Amino acid sequence: MHNDYRITWKHLLTLLLAVGGSTLLITRAPAHDQANFPMPGGKTYVDECGSCHTAYAPGMLPARSWRKLMAELADHFGEDASLADPRRMEITQALELLASDGSQATVRMRRINAAIPANAAPQRISETGYFKFIHDEVRPSIWKRKQIGTLANCIACHPRANDGRYGEREIRIPQN
Amino acid sequence: MIKWLLMLALASGSAYAATPRQILDSLVAQAGPASAARGEKLYRGKFSGGKTADSCTACHTDNAKAVGQHVRTSKAIDPLAPVAHKDRFTDPEKVEKWFKRNCNDVLGRACSPQKKADFTAYMISLQ
Ligand code: HEC
Ligand code: HEC
Ligand code: HEC
Repeated sequence: MHNDYRITWKHLLTLLLAVGGSTLLITRAPAHDQANFPMPGGKTYVDECGSCHTAYAPGMLPARSWRKLMAELADHFGEDASLADPRRMEITQALELLASDGSQATVRMRRINAAIPANAAPQRISETGYFKFIHDEVRPSIWKRKQIGTLANCIACHPRANDGRYGEREIRIPQN
Repeated sequence: MIKWLLMLALASGSAYAATPRQILDSLVAQAGPASAARGEKLYRGKFSGGKTADSCTACHTDNAKAVGQHVRTSKAIDPLAPVAHKDRFTDPEKVEKWFKRNCNDVLGRACSPQKKADFTAYMISLQ
């Protein structure tokens, strides 16, 4: 009897982990670190949108930007990044929910949003006012380092970017 | 009860997993015998049909066991050879998706089942 309980708990844990890992549950950033952005839960977003580049935090752009981007994946900055439904729909909804103008937006996300004109739907995070403002002390010679290459290669300097973590203590700038 | 829980846990995990050998076998079943030497030629060859890059090595580097770098986004790419990165060639859907994308990016057309089988045989042959 006791034995049975032990085994059952172990498998229950496995079950919980497996279920948690396979659905787009929403992970919330703790309120005390303002440089944490909420990310779609599960593996789908990082698998589909994090293989060619950083899995960008939804809170960096408003919902209308993501809607446009997700509707034009067949010509995505010159690449074919098309995705079949229901996966495309699932990701679009997660992006909209966690966008900079979403109902759960943090103070920092609202600031990002305030710097984007209401009639614009920017497609590049690296061209938004907030991005430029926060990185204005990073020298151009640094962006050009081989392992960085472009402003949008967030994960090169923010190793935990795929978890939505951009805090200063976690920044590691590649030396070449 | 335990069996039932285990099955649920398995079913809710994501894509269907295979071994690189099983993936090669199913490509060979469509194409005929595979040649690692021909696969290496595809890997190292220079082509002009695609818009994004002229070779597989442009992103995956001369050494498929090394970390690569995307030509456009500069993001680091884990090694392609299964010996250097255990997840490679274990998800048939993923393998198919990237053959489709990358052959189009480099050759400007799809890779035949024969090319895919050869390429996979080359990746598996790397030790
Ligand atoms: C096949 C590769 C590929 C896939 C898959 C892909 N992208 Fe991209 N993405 C690119 C390229 C290439 C660029 C442009 C890079 C450049 O010119 O700097 C880009 C740029 C972006 C940018 C703008 C980055 C910036 O701030 O400059 C966003 C946002 C973006 N992608 C979101 C997504 C989302 C969301 C998905 C998943 C649905 C996705 N991407 C999937 C290749 C890809
Ligand atoms: C060249 C390396 C580099 C790249 C690439 C980079 N960043 Fe940064 N980022 C920094 C540095 C350095 C700081 C700290 C700036 C400061 O405090 O002066 C920073 C700060 C930040 C912060 C604020 C952190 C805080 O604690 O307030 C955010 C948010 C951020 N970056 C997001 C991004 C995003 C999103 C991308 C990609 C689209 C990106 N970064 C790409 C180097 C980089
Ligand atoms: C523009 C950059 C680029 C080029 C050029 C490129 N690839 Fe890739 N390839 C990628 C990226 C990005 C991934 C996904 C990386 C990841 O999952 O970490 C990938 C993944 C793959 C995979 C999936 C392996 C697995 O099981 O995870 C295969 C197969 C593959 N590439 C074959 C090729 C072939 C064949 C060529 C040449 C015809 C080629 N690639 C050229 C960027 C590229």
